[in-house]
Amino acid sequence: MASAGPALKDELDIVIPTIRNLDFLEMWRPFFQPYHLIIVQDGDPSKTIKVPDGFQYDLYNRNDINKLLGPKASCISFKDSACRCFGYMVSKKKYIYTIDDDCFVAKNPSGQDINALEQHIKNLLCPSAPYFFNTLYDPYAEGADFVRGYPFSLREGVPTAVSHGLWLNIPDYDAPTQLVKPAERNKRYVDAVMTIPKGTLFPMCGMNLAFDRDLIGPAMYFGLMGEGQPIGRYDDMWAGWCVKVICDHLGLGVKTGLPYIWHSKASNPFVNLKKEYKGIFWQEEIIPFFQTAILPKECTTVQACYIELSKQVKEKLGKIDPYFTKLGDAMVTWIEAWDELNPGKDAGKGKGK
Amino acid sequence: MAGSSSVTPILKDELDIVIATVRNLDFLEKWRPFFQHYHLIIVQDGDPSKTIKVPEGFDYELYNRDDINRILGPKASCISFKDSACRCFGFMVSKKKYVYTIDDDCFVAKDPSGKEMNAVEQHIQNLLSPSTPFLFNTLYDPYRDGTDFVRGYPFSLREGVPTAVSHGLWLNIPDYDAPTQLVKPLERNNRFVDAVMTVPKGTLFPMCGMNLGFNRELIGPAMYLGLMGDGQPIGRYDDMWAGWCTKVICDHLGYGVKTGLPYVWHTKASSPFANLKKEYKGIYWQEELIPFFQAVTLPKECTTVKKCYLELSKQVRAKLGKVDEYFNKLADAMITWIQAWDELNPSKGEAGHLN
Repeated sequence: MASAGPALKDELDIVIPTIRNLDFLEMWRPFFQPYHLIIVQDGDPSKTIKVPDGFQYDLYNRNDINKLLGPKASCISFKDSACRCFGYMVSKKKYIYTIDDDCFVAKNPSGQDINALEQHIKNLLCPSAPYFFNTLYDPYAEGADFVRGYPFSLREGVPTAVSHGLWLNIPDYDAPTQLVKPAERNKRYVDAVMTIPKGTLFPMCGMNLAFDRDLIGPAMYFGLMGEGQPIGRYDDMWAGWCVKVICDHLGLGVKTGLPYIWHSKASNPFVNLKKEYKGIFWQEEIIPFFQTAILPKECTTVQACYIELSKQVKEKLGKIDPYFTKLGDAMVTWIEAWDELNPGKDAGKGKGK
Repeated sequence: MAGSSSVTPILKDELDIVIATVRNLDFLEKWRPFFQHYHLIIVQDGDPSKTIKVPEGFDYELYNRDDINRILGPKASCISFKDSACRCFGFMVSKKKYVYTIDDDCFVAKDPSGKEMNAVEQHIQNLLSPSTPFLFNTLYDPYRDGTDFVRGYPFSLREGVPTAVSHGLWLNIPDYDAPTQLVKPLERNNRFVDAVMTVPKGTLFPMCGMNLGFNRELIGPAMYLGLMGDGQPIGRYDDMWAGWCTKVICDHLGYGVKTGLPYVWHTKASSPFANLKKEYKGIYWQEELIPFFQAVTLPKECTTVKKCYLELSKQVRAKLGKVDEYFNKLADAMITWIQAWDELNPSKGEAGHLN
């Protein structure tokens, strides 16, 4: 795995949504400079986003998105960081790392700067273990292994599709929690990576997230959020639920834990409550939906799984609110757009259990 | 709501510490500051004519094989001999709500700041706060100080469920099986992972008995450590067996199983050659045991731990009896265990009533 130069330099894109500026990249320069960036500019396309010198990048604003996707651009959110998933679609690389522009380099307990990208790559390049919980966490980490009682036939693991990183300082809390505990900071450095077991959902945060585009890309749709939509701050959650159900079905792994980044900005809880309001109620129905979602055996690719999921969303969630019917349609549009921009590339193909 | 940083109750009269031993209990000296409030139940394995020296100042009862035979009569057949699995006799004979069990080669570990860790206190914290088996919280145990549920965690699931088991870990000598010990004799667990988490519903795990706390009232009867040691074809699968049974029953009854902190410092690496002999059959058998436990369903009518356990014993006989005759014996022993448990714990309501 250790080769000359940064790992996967030509195989990984860093996708960053922004409306303001990219000053935060200065701090990441030692770790990010070798990689190609895809910047998705949200909001007013006439603004100029200044990218620090020395980075190689493609930048897409709303006009570009509309031009490239035509009518299908309707599936890409506007005035919400969910627009970042356009970057996933337009990337030509095998791996994606996405990070928010208020996330900085964190330090580990010994004071060393954490190369988040390097850790994500490690996570993605070694297998996951979703069928049985290893009590020493990631058995493929240095200095660890499977424990006594872990069946040998499960030690090969499965391919890792997603690496979900965490955040020190401002934790990713919902609005009610932010209102009740405005001063809480995440100071606890948990030195572990682990696989989220099969059959278990989790809240996937898009602030510090990497994935194998070839394995799971088409499932990383961040939904309809922001302008003209009744909800916000559920983009990554939606993608995470879809992704986990599909990974479980196709026998792919999802890891969570290291690396940490330093999250510097606490978004406004009053604004957040407005965005999340409907989600607080809807998620009570959405979670049981995803927990019981079954994908037929015939769905052997991510695209097929996703289209099937969109049908079930319309059928079972449509009755909660017409938003879900729109979302089901947008899911289909997303796959059509994905296939147009990525012709002949069935993702996660044939990955049986 | 995450727990406040209040003082952890000691539960001095509600918790027993169960220790199995064949040699001596010198290790208790190191644990004295943390263990001295508690009543100890010492289960002496091996030759009953030996005297086990218990350090002064501890309040304890000690049972050797003669005592076990006397107390249980013919039912003593379910208690292993010449194997630390005999410790479950201590679980049965305890009158307390909580049990903490620890191996006699486990010592006090230090956290990264050099502070000694009170393992019992952490287990109590784990057991007294709820578990969250239905959805994975990415900041781990949301009830710990300084943390909470993350965005996207449904509010209806934030009350959690009662915690039945607290599974602690080990620094230094890791709990590896024989093949791994043979291949990596030098590996030491140096990684302190500052987390407690719930093992999700539907997911099994390898439960190690070296550093384990549980709520006896919720799950006690499921903590049978099987038939190991003298006269048995297998060893080092006692805690594994109990862990699989316990997890399946906890999932069915809506109880939680936590793993992670606390750590103990595990000093002795058992002989990998001896271990391979003991584990040998288990290496093959577990390939069938795991799918068996993963596929087990318990009927709705099983609303108590005992009913669940007896049902499980039927399924063990029906589905694993064909793997080896041992499993028929084990299924019988599971029934004997429950009968013995009932005799020693008469009419105390049913353990783990389904809510």
